[in-house]
Amino acid sequence: MKTFEEKWTAWLDDQLTGKELADFEASLPDKEAAEAEKRDATKLGTLLKQELGAQPFSNEEFFNHQLRERIARENAQDQHGRGGERSTWWTVPRLVWTGAASLALFMICAVAVMREKAPSERSEYLTQILNMRVDPVVSPNATVSVFETKGDRVTVIWTEGLQSLPSDYAAK
Amino acid sequence: MQTETTLAQADVSELDLVKRCQAGETEAFDELVTRYRTRIFAMIYNMVHNEQDAWDLAQDSFVKAWKSIKRFRGRSSFYTWIYRIVMNVTIDWLRKKQVKGAGVEFDDAIQLREVNPASKTLPKADPLPYERMERTEVRARIDNAITQLSPEHRAVILMKETEGMQYHEIAEALGCSIGTVMSRLFYARKKLQNLLKDVYENI
Repeated sequence: MKTFEEKWTAWLDDQLTGKELADFEASLPDKEAAEAEKRDATKLGTLLKQELGAQPFSNEEFFNHQLRERIARENAQDQHGRGGERSTWWTVPRLVWTGAASLALFMICAVAVMREKAPSERSEYLTQILNMRVDPVVSPNATVSVFETKGDRVTVIWTEGLQSLPSDYAAK
Repeated sequence: MQTETTLAQADVSELDLVKRCQAGETEAFDELVTRYRTRIFAMIYNMVHNEQDAWDLAQDSFVKAWKSIKRFRGRSSFYTWIYRIVMNVTIDWLRKKQVKGAGVEFDDAIQLREVNPASKTLPKADPLPYERMERTEVRARIDNAITQLSPEHRAVILMKETEGMQYHEIAEALGCSIGTVMSRLFYARKKLQNLLKDVYENI
């Protein structure tokens, strides 16, 4: 469904035919005024074509020359850009391999560290102290018992018959 | 019949040029530029009313056309295709510049036209001074009226009246519907008729 503006424009440009033309002309409230406006539009078109149609264009050859130079520059830049893109694309696999190698190295180190730091079933530090400090000469009847709750990660050391503790023991 | 043959040959030749451009031949593009530069320059000039700006915009349009010519599939004529680029470039530029008045730009356009020594369309005899002045005034009135239209309305009226393009060609060049073209033509004509009635009545 054409709007009035569309029909009017088509009518001015003689693009309406047959029933469409008849219907449109019949719908015009003032046919004479419409015809006058159509003549005006034709005159306007003639004026525009006459005054704007032939615009002189000086230095035509220079225009082409300048354009050729610009295109040559653009082509050179594009080629340079494509070269840059290619080198960028070549580095992507390198980046992937570097990333994978770094990740593998990190995993190995992490596993090693975690193994080292995994809580042992018995506190090695305390065991050492006990081994070193429970001297049979000083405390011949001393007995040491170790109880460990793995879930709570608690170790209880039960000592009996201990005569004395070394003065520097508490500080440790 | 002869005209049809000539047109067909021209079309084939143009398609051939386009194909050569798509293969990267700048000489073929140079030939296409030579064919259309005057019409495209005139079209842009009539929209922006400044020779230097029209020159630059025509250059930009052709550079864009060269860059995207590989995407031209031949569904429309090369002329309609390049017009679409020209219109995009020019309308974008006008929007950015937000040209509303015509003062200085206008006078500049007149001066440039007055001192154009390289015109190939020189009349057989120089017009009399008063005739020249009258023509200059008429042109100034037209330019002034056109600057009061939006970029889209300018494009439509100029393509229709000075280029004689069909609605569907204008629609393709502007990337809009035929209905929009007709509607824009309606309002552009109304406005120009109001502004230029005394000019075309006296010619």
